Amino acid sequence: MRMKNVLVLALVALLAVFSVSAGGASEEDANVIKIGFIGPLTGDNANYGIRCSNAARLAINEINEAGGINGMQLQLIAEDSQGAVDRAISSYEKLAYTDNVVAIIGPVFTSPALAVAQRCYEDGIVMITPSATHKDVTSVGNWVYRTVPSDSLQSEVAAHYFYEVLGYRSIACLYAMNDYSQGLAEGVEEIFTALGGTITSMQTCMVGDRDFRTQLGEIRSTNPEAIYIPNYTVEDAQILEQASQLGMSIPFLSSDGFSDPEIYNLAGDFTEGVIYVGPAQAEASTLLSDFQEAYSAAYNGDAPDSFATNSYDAMYILRDAVTRVFENGGALSDIDAFRSMVNDEMKATDDFQGANGTINFAANGDMVASQGVYRVENQTPIYLGSFQVVDNHIVQVD
Amino acid sequence: MTTLIQYLQYFLNGITLGAIYALIALGYTMVYGILKFINFAHGDILMVGAYTGLLTYTALLGDSTNGAWMLIAFFLAMLVSMAFCAILGMFIEKVAYKPLRNANRLAPLLSAIGVSFILSNGAAWIFGTQSRRFPYPFDDTPIVIAGLSITPHQILTIVVSIIMMIVLTSFVNKTRMGKAMRATSLDQPTSELMGIDVNHVISMTFAIGSALAAVGGILASFDFRVSASMGTMTGLKAFVAAVIGGIGNIQGAMLGGIILGILESVGAPLLGIPSSLRDAIAFAVLIIILLVKPDGILGKNEREKV
Amino acid sequence: MVNFLQLIIIYAGIYALMAIGQNCITGYTGMLSLCHAGFFCIGSYATAILCKDFGFSFWASLPIAAIASGILGFLIGVPTLRLKGDYLCIATLGLGEIIRTVATNLNPVGYQSVPRAMLFGYQFSARNKVQFILLIWAFVLIFYILFQQLAHSRLGRAMAAIREDEVAAQSNGINVTKYKIGAFVLGAAIGGVAGCFMTAYTQTVNPSSFTFMVSVMVLCMVVLGGMGNGKAVILGALIVQFISYFPQLVGLSSVIPAQATQIIYGLCLVVLMIWRPQGLLGRDKYRYGDPRSTKERLVGFFKRNPEKKGGRA
Repeated sequence: MRMKNVLVLALVALLAVFSVSAGGASEEDANVIKIGFIGPLTGDNANYGIRCSNAARLAINEINEAGGINGMQLQLIAEDSQGAVDRAISSYEKLAYTDNVVAIIGPVFTSPALAVAQRCYEDGIVMITPSATHKDVTSVGNWVYRTVPSDSLQSEVAAHYFYEVLGYRSIACLYAMNDYSQGLAEGVEEIFTALGGTITSMQTCMVGDRDFRTQLGEIRSTNPEAIYIPNYTVEDAQILEQASQLGMSIPFLSSDGFSDPEIYNLAGDFTEGVIYVGPAQAEASTLLSDFQEAYSAAYNGDAPDSFATNSYDAMYILRDAVTRVFENGGALSDIDAFRSMVNDEMKATDDFQGANGTINFAANGDMVASQGVYRVENQTPIYLGSFQVVDNHIVQVD
Repeated sequence: MTTLIQYLQYFLNGITLGAIYALIALGYTMVYGILKFINFAHGDILMVGAYTGLLTYTALLGDSTNGAWMLIAFFLAMLVSMAFCAILGMFIEKVAYKPLRNANRLAPLLSAIGVSFILSNGAAWIFGTQSRRFPYPFDDTPIVIAGLSITPHQILTIVVSIIMMIVLTSFVNKTRMGKAMRATSLDQPTSELMGIDVNHVISMTFAIGSALAAVGGILASFDFRVSASMGTMTGLKAFVAAVIGGIGNIQGAMLGGIILGILESVGAPLLGIPSSLRDAIAFAVLIIILLVKPDGILGKNEREKV
Repeated sequence: MVNFLQLIIIYAGIYALMAIGQNCITGYTGMLSLCHAGFFCIGSYATAILCKDFGFSFWASLPIAAIASGILGFLIGVPTLRLKGDYLCIATLGLGEIIRTVATNLNPVGYQSVPRAMLFGYQFSARNKVQFILLIWAFVLIFYILFQQLAHSRLGRAMAAIREDEVAAQSNGINVTKYKIGAFVLGAAIGGVAGCFMTAYTQTVNPSSFTFMVSVMVLCMVVLGGMGNGKAVILGALIVQFISYFPQLVGLSSVIPAQATQIIYGLCLVVLMIWRPQGLLGRDKYRYGDPRSTKERLVGFFKRNPEKKGGRA
């Protein structure tokens, strides 16, 4: 029965650690406003989560240096979702009940976002996702916002741009089977066909695949004018390189996933000439370049992608909302009322000026914004302007 | 005609992809053949090998663009990476597997899974989670013959995997150490009684297997990119390749790798289904092969238990 | 804090069900299967689709999910007649991956806002964790008792005989085919039930939750606790879940790097295996023809009488 004693001892030791740290946690500083973050910090797509949390942390550090909100400091509590639903739920439970956060930024991917959105709606906590693009995310209750365009908005602009501005009549799609890529590819397919264009081939792959030569061969045999690849960075880089290895010289089109500067390390010169739809930029403002410089300085020269920029904007939108809550007499002592007031003030967001230009929220929490279009030249994206679709025609905004 | 060329190209793509699987499968099969133990951490040693190779290569190269020096630096980096992985492999064996040599067969499997967790997350911690590109140490312009294209790095991968297979086969069959390995694989206690230092033999097995993983890792990183999680799926596929061919059999690993590569490339268009189902096709064929030949294509028929 | 502990207990309960199923396949019958993620997936999807698209109640979907998983277990069980050891392991692993790939291809987003479980008008919501804990652990207890009975029945002894020596079992008139398939069907069905509860709790099903790492985790629970030992695998599930959520429980997760959690988990696995290769509690010693009645054994389990303790390895 020695075994049993050892087990009991181990349990007691664990409980001791547990109670000590519980004691530590209860001595929390009442003068801190806690903001939660949920995203993948480990696993295959961790760089998206890490960049978004870094950007939110950068915003919080800037806010704190400027004196915080109402004399209080902000704190970001980042939890790992590993991109999976059960982990995202456990992270949510920790943030909502153990840490008593006032609002949550994230989750980064659609499926965890849908699961967490449901819980946020039930518990009454504001959730702002910087990157979950699926159309259903904001339809779960009225506590969910996003600082990223929904895939229907982006694919509408993309399809119109490809058809009307670039003049393509036949394109092929190569997309990964995940919510993000599938949403965009199917959106473009629908609108592009409705405009009168032809989709010659819809090829699919799995996230994490590294060999796309079969799909590219199939696409080549249908002879499209261009190929639309709305995927994550690594997949896009592989597709571009392997297309060149197969001797294909068809132009490539992509989505905001391409805005990750990592693509130029991974695919180098193969990115030449790629046109992608990404966030719009405020022309007159230096907010975006300031953010990019500050981010590089803070994180060893790493460059932010568009989702990180969205996350940075989300943090500032939240700061404004929380500031207004304090002005209206909200107090952290009643966390439920405070969370609810944050939601009211989020809805009152009006022409927020962020790194991604002017941001407003529609009634369902979706971002209302125009879309930017970029062309890659010498491994640098050139901004071609921002566009909106008005009366089924694409219009350049600036 | 165009369809024929298209399919020939898929076939060629499949062989080049399969060569990578084969190269990694060789290491898997080597360790399995001697110890009858699935080294789940093999894929992660591969990843460590790729990182070591990449770091050494970039450090050696500096700003140089001299073609000859690039090649020399590449092979030096490969040697350094092989040595490092061999030592790492022996160390892991000593710490995590040796104490479990006489335990039930699942215990070392779990220990290996633990090691795999430590390695892949440790790498993500140290190197970050983004993928990196392994620069080509030579001009990688594709060679096009009769409408079929292949790149120099793919040819290199195929050549290296064939050389490795031949060297490994003759090592196991001809050398003293190889004989000791085969004896250990057949009957550990008896080999010990016959004067074979079983601990040394097993250490060497891990060293060689891990060095092979390093080579596989570096060559795979041209096509798969270097990242902390590169070993998981690649390792799994290579393991599948080893099983298709008959695990423990060196030629089988080669054969299995090529078959798997071709299946992934040709399977989906041949059946007219979406390419995102290619893994499902590969695994389905694996199961069918196992149902027809329960010990793999070239495997020996032996009975075993968990 | 308490809330999070409750969450871990709920997750541990769900995984304990899976571990019981895996134990039936691996622990009792000695077949190394890595397919529990697939069974879990089928169960989760069955509940999600039936409740959301066809308006079934959770309770009506539960047996259907179990049967669906059981059928899958049967389909996997048939090939196992020919495969041994590691070949079986890789074939089942392949099947698990096939299920996940097909599920991803059918719908990469999965299902959301699945209706909750109701019982006598009471709704089991994620906010009332205590009720959910009672619900899930009641099922764990039921299946534990059922499988404990099974292990000591003719069926269980036949399975143990197959595990120890298949040829000997066959020559003693045991229908190896029947019992192997039976073990797979039972194990798979419990995996499906676990999937139901996961859906009922998270209300969301997504194919990316069913990677082969889930199967590996479940196998870890069984080996860590002690193969073929009903109590041990439940303990294994508790421990594995506790280790993997410990940093979040005590608030370390936002302080230490995210990878550290996983590294600690890996270290725990290695250390525990080296320390207790046979599992924490080891294998249940077979009491062929236990003289006590079911009632006595139940009483014995709750009173933990010394007679029972003596029987453990």
